[in-house]
Amino acid sequence: MDLIRFYVRKLFTVLKNEVIVLPSRVVVVVFFLFLLLLPVFTNNQYTLRIFTLTCIFAILAASWDLLSGFTGQINFGHALFFGVGAYAAAMSNLHVHLPPWASIPLGGLVAVLAGLIIGIPCLRLRGTYLALTTLAFPIILMGFVFAFPDLTGGELGISGIERIARSRVTNYYIVAGLMFGLCTIMWKITDSNTGIIFHAIREDELAVRASGVNTTRYKLLAFCLSGFFAGIAGGLYAHFMRIAGPSTLEVSMSFLVVIWAVFGGVATIYGPVGAVFILFPLLEFLRFWQEYRTLMFACVLIVILLYMPDGLFPWLRDKIETECPRCKIRNIATRTVCRVCSASLE
Amino acid sequence: MKKPLVSIIVIVIVIVGVALIYYATRPPEVVPTIKIGVIGPMQYVQGIGHWNGATMAADEINAAGGIQVGEKKMNIELVQADSNEFINITDATNAMERLITNDKVDFIVGGFRTEAVLPMQDIAMENKKIFIGVGAAHNELCLRVAKDYDTYKYFFRGSPFNSSFLGRTSFIHLGTVAAIMKMTLNIPKIKVAIAAEKAMWTEPMIEAAEGVIPKMGMELVGVWRPSPIATDVTAELSAIQRSGAHIIFTVFSSSVGIPFARQAGELKIPAVQVGINVEAQKDGFSQATQEMGNYVATLNTYCRSVEYNELTKPFVDGYVERFGETPTYTADTYTAIKYALAPTIEKAGTLDADALVAILENASYMVPSGKVEYLKDAEGNHLHELRWGPGYLTSLGVQWQDGELKSFWPNKWKAVPEAPEVTYKGIVPYKIPPWVVDAYKQ
Repeated sequence: MDLIRFYVRKLFTVLKNEVIVLPSRVVVVVFFLFLLLLPVFTNNQYTLRIFTLTCIFAILAASWDLLSGFTGQINFGHALFFGVGAYAAAMSNLHVHLPPWASIPLGGLVAVLAGLIIGIPCLRLRGTYLALTTLAFPIILMGFVFAFPDLTGGELGISGIERIARSRVTNYYIVAGLMFGLCTIMWKITDSNTGIIFHAIREDELAVRASGVNTTRYKLLAFCLSGFFAGIAGGLYAHFMRIAGPSTLEVSMSFLVVIWAVFGGVATIYGPVGAVFILFPLLEFLRFWQEYRTLMFACVLIVILLYMPDGLFPWLRDKIETECPRCKIRNIATRTVCRVCSASLE
Repeated sequence: MKKPLVSIIVIVIVIVGVALIYYATRPPEVVPTIKIGVIGPMQYVQGIGHWNGATMAADEINAAGGIQVGEKKMNIELVQADSNEFINITDATNAMERLITNDKVDFIVGGFRTEAVLPMQDIAMENKKIFIGVGAAHNELCLRVAKDYDTYKYFFRGSPFNSSFLGRTSFIHLGTVAAIMKMTLNIPKIKVAIAAEKAMWTEPMIEAAEGVIPKMGMELVGVWRPSPIATDVTAELSAIQRSGAHIIFTVFSSSVGIPFARQAGELKIPAVQVGINVEAQKDGFSQATQEMGNYVATLNTYCRSVEYNELTKPFVDGYVERFGETPTYTADTYTAIKYALAPTIEKAGTLDADALVAILENASYMVPSGKVEYLKDAEGNHLHELRWGPGYLTSLGVQWQDGELKSFWPNKWKAVPEAPEVTYKGIVPYKIPPWVVDAYKQ
């Protein structure tokens, strides 16, 4: 009983001193509670479907940010990892009868392999050349898909895959839980020493190499990590949709990921996640105006990027929070002195 | 004495007033409707066809008083869903889920791209909703019914018949044209070139054609694969001309069908075109090819001058009058609603999907493009697949003749030697282009 009382007290202390003091953290907590309680307020299958897919695409968008946002290795072919994960999970489920809890991580691992296969030849390339080369890989894989229709299902893809769970609510909770877990892991990676090296590679690779860091290894690691998370997203997608088809490898899928990440703010992890949670349901909401749906969507994107070139969420965060010039701790924008070191914030 | 009278008058006024207010503000009488979801790529010609056909059927049924469901008459209410399936499969599945969950439709018709229709089919089946597929031709959609009847029994093919039958019909057209060429121009052995767009769906057609053409006593001179969006195919056409081909067997569903026909006409390539050219099925083809597409032949479902039966003319004429164009096969949502769903509901007297499936899968009924019956597989399992052949659905072989789409097949066609001849009303003879006649006439 004392232990419970201790943890409850600790929770309140953390909430009071670490969460409520910063609006961005409050937003994260509210967002978490919203996802957790959504099925309590609605059991509408359509709404749950939209949010389940949103969670899957949030993992995908965050995985692109991990590679391209943090390491600066611009990847215009991220659909490759997603497609590889989806196909690997679908094939292992359908042909080897692996259950989803095994086939989805397997999809992630196969995507790691894809990351290695792409990463090695791409290491010599930078900027536009790298972006264009990565763009080619999903197209090449699509060629393989069409070349071996007996294995891949060709144009139709692989259908009849096992569901993650029978109930839509269970599906939702599994995917939402995984989204939280995986995005937290990605965020922690970017906050670790490895993440700092990723940042440094993006800013000045030569300087990092001059400091004795094997940048090749770290870039390859970024490709593999990003591939793993995107592969998991692909596996989840295949099991949720019950089909893995060539559409998972389409160029439009790769560009959609870039749009989400740029809209939300690159090199943040939370930015792309937030962007998916705005843009994906928005596109569904705009169904009431079917003819102009895509046009309206494009208008929203253009307006946001015109006025917030660094992305929506960094812009919002800068409006409601300020960074202490002395200790670099973030404070609510209304404060005049830092909550930790009492330095002036004006 | 006065007081009670005043009280009574006040009470009466109050009661009348309340009654009047209630009458004026009462909720409108809810007329029960049967909700039918129409799903398709609504920004494209295929989706527009879906919607037009469904609208026409719903209007005709409602104008006739609705559908008799047990004791009551019910009108049809259509709900449109843009699947956006050419661009985004996820969008298509969301649209299907929305139709069922939010719009609470009773039945669904439509769908076009097989990769999208497969997951859409899964959603409809999970919700036990009858889904009549109008657009996707792949066999897998109906094979699923036989493989897992309890889950997929709510799916029926509405139009077109499956891709195997489509291929078979195209080869019959090829054989028909080859026979005419051989007889008219005294060509001892017909040479055939295959021109198929670079797309996955054409692969099995090419493979089958490579096997079938020699067996039909013709010589295959080569296969050419232009891009589906090519705007210049002169290189392919020149190579085909050099190969000495008499017939070009086309397999086109994309825009390449227009430049191919136009440039072949401009260059006066001495070879006739027959097979599948989806662009040539459209009314605007003659104008799009600057009238160079004359004599191009393709498989099609409807043609203004042809009547499969007594239902064809009212449908085609009504459609042309209302929408200003000949219906394409996706407009067979009309057939799905008017001739499949409506009579089945009336017969069952209920909207219960299981009861309707039991009636519909054993039904045999006339539609504007022939007669519908559903097939079973070799083991006797229901496929809910359309029966193809004489007396049932056959489609047409159509040819552009002097700026008009005419039908040349079936013309005294016998599926097997002992079968009766089939010729529809309005069929005209096939015409060989004059420059081809000039090139080969001996």
